[in-house]
Amino acid sequence: MRTSRTLGLFMIAPASIMIFLFFLMPVVLTAIFAMTNMSTATGISGGAWQVTQAAVNRLKTDLPELADGIAEPRFIIDEEGLKELETLKLKPGFAAELRAEHMGEVYPSRREAERVIKALKDRPSTREVKQISDLFNRSVLNTRFETRDELMANLKKLGFDLTPQQQDIVARATYTGWIWTTDNFRIISSSPDMAQIFFNTAFYVSVTLLLFNVGYALFLALTTHYMQASTASVFRAIWLLPRITPVVIYVLLWKWLTWDSGFISTFMSQFGYPPKNYLLDTAYNAWFFVILINGFIGASMGMLVFSSAIKAIPQTQFHASEVDGASRLQQIRYIILPQLRWPILFVTCYQTLSLLASFNEILLSTRGGPGKATEVWSLAAFHTALNNYTGNLEYGLGAAMALVLVVVGIILSLIYLRIFRYDTLISKPLIED
Amino acid sequence: MRILLDKFSKSFGSTKVIEDMNLEVASGEMLALLGPSGCGKSTTLFAVCGIHRPTSGRILFGDRDVTNLPSQERNVGVVFQSYALYPHMTVEENIGFPLMVKRAAAPDIKKQVAAIAALVHIDNLLDRRPSQLSGGQQQRVALARALIRRPDVLLLDEPLANLDAKLRLEMRSEIRRLQRETGITAILVTHDQVEAMSMCDRIAIMKSGEIVQIATPSAMYNDPRTSFVAGFLGNPPISFIKGTAFQGAFVSGDGHLKVPLAALSGISDDTPLTLGVRPEHFGTGGDIAVEGRIVFAETQGRENLYDVALPDGSVLRSIQPVRNDIKPGDQVRWMLGSDAAFIFAENGQRL
Repeated sequence: MRTSRTLGLFMIAPASIMIFLFFLMPVVLTAIFAMTNMSTATGISGGAWQVTQAAVNRLKTDLPELADGIAEPRFIIDEEGLKELETLKLKPGFAAELRAEHMGEVYPSRREAERVIKALKDRPSTREVKQISDLFNRSVLNTRFETRDELMANLKKLGFDLTPQQQDIVARATYTGWIWTTDNFRIISSSPDMAQIFFNTAFYVSVTLLLFNVGYALFLALTTHYMQASTASVFRAIWLLPRITPVVIYVLLWKWLTWDSGFISTFMSQFGYPPKNYLLDTAYNAWFFVILINGFIGASMGMLVFSSAIKAIPQTQFHASEVDGASRLQQIRYIILPQLRWPILFVTCYQTLSLLASFNEILLSTRGGPGKATEVWSLAAFHTALNNYTGNLEYGLGAAMALVLVVVGIILSLIYLRIFRYDTLISKPLIED
Repeated sequence: MRILLDKFSKSFGSTKVIEDMNLEVASGEMLALLGPSGCGKSTTLFAVCGIHRPTSGRILFGDRDVTNLPSQERNVGVVFQSYALYPHMTVEENIGFPLMVKRAAAPDIKKQVAAIAALVHIDNLLDRRPSQLSGGQQQRVALARALIRRPDVLLLDEPLANLDAKLRLEMRSEIRRLQRETGITAILVTHDQVEAMSMCDRIAIMKSGEIVQIATPSAMYNDPRTSFVAGFLGNPPISFIKGTAFQGAFVSGDGHLKVPLAALSGISDDTPLTLGVRPEHFGTGGDIAVEGRIVFAETQGRENLYDVALPDGSVLRSIQPVRNDIKPGDQVRWMLGSDAAFIFAENGQRL
């Protein structure tokens, strides 16, 4: 007994490893990435501290004085600068006088520094004044510091005495690497763009599901059920074509249909309408075609599942209901549909999840356009994290969006199980005699 | 209501199942369509209820021609072999279904369902689903559903085939009781001759799409028209012995057995014949002695069944009250009642 149990574990080990690596790890990693602000800008390894113009802008709200201060150049007469001045082989009096008279002085602007240099006894020329002042420019703007302490030391040298809180704010604003944050979810919940994408997704999934993946599939299954077997199989085969055609070719056919030199344009030009791209013409048209493209693929699966489920209903039940006086519509309503509850649940659940997660047809046809009219959640996540027009790929935000998709999928599945009363579908019969 | 099949024919593709069949079932009568599997009895039944359309011929309920009416408009009640209950409905919904699709008022349906459920003794099961019922209970639900809309005709397609032996006995009399109480015209399709004989007023026995004989059970048993009918009815079955005619008597193959029969006068010598003897007509009483060896003995409790091999190898069956003096291998000399024996020509027709 014990050995067989160990053997079982051993046998299932490769599968467990696969499941762990390729199913669990991606979800876990997505969750981890979702809690960061990783992007092309931050990189995925550690970062440095750098007072960029963007960092200054970020500081402006919390520490406006500091922001203005560090944005300006700063001039300090220090030993480092003096040594460099000496190597320049200008008049030695410059360095000597600066060391003697002005050592350690801080000038908040170039003008003030240059006035002092100009006043030196050896009278530097205007070109030399410029040359000298550059040597004492100690601005932190665009300087990269490997550690936080280095940044703080330099700021202190520049005369910015910061409290620990202020130091935190500056460090956060100037850090170029990724950090742990829940900002992604704040962005998702508050951005109007995200709300629009969410609405798009809800519209796309519910309409495609209702009209095609379940509705039209049911219609096909029911009508083919009442056809002769040979005719029915021809119809089913035709509706399988979109599913078995490679998706790129299938979408290309739709593009041929809708291009400005395509079939619809050519046809409509017969009636005097100028050619146009019917696919991307208006948001309304784009949705129309996006739903058709996806629906025609999706309908075939439901059709197959429903057809076989109807076939599984014993023939005598149809005979009995006819004899009982039921018309075809009553037969569908009272005999067939109640017995298709489980297949309908399965198809609804499965197709909701696949519609939520798949964006390849939309990507190939409208790319989410025109504008962002047909941008759905998964496509937006793809655009955000992996294929971005601006070039800044926001892995963290994209992962957060993907995570939202996973959660929404789980919640919807639970709701479906509830609606279709899954527990009654698996209840045990109480046979007695 | 009278049912009349007039030159009814049915073929599936090029396969002719039934050709030019005529059958009349009187009003209030229960008729059995009896025959081996594949004889066309279920096809006939399905044509009567409208699931199959006749290829040619007419079907009349009373004086109404229903040949081309869909089954929805025929007002027939059918009990299928598998009962065909709707698994997703409760017993109450199953029984009420024929009224529901007619859009009867809900309280009215409830009342009628309760009445019919009481009639078939399942009024305590109305909330169950078919999967929660035993075979006999399902059978009763199917009966109730067939009867609830007061059909002109009740059709039963092997209704007892899926029941165990004890329940079959009980339901046999139950169905007959319901048919009598409701006075409905009924057709029972079965391959079980006991069922047909015990339940029905008349039996139509079918073979390869044709009705061989229609008669009351006792008339058919005592006066079969062909060897097929004689062989089909009776349990244990009749035994047949091959032989020839000789001077107004039947002579078995090797001449050992000679049975003079009135029916054979005028039959020329050496005509090939078959003698049929029912087991109850071979034993201790009779007029012709037959010698043979017991090859098989079986007790059925009240009676014993013996197979007696004659010298030429043919076997006569005998059923007798239980006796313990005979065992397989014994030589016996038993009597055959020639007046109750049947004689058949080579084509199976009785002479």
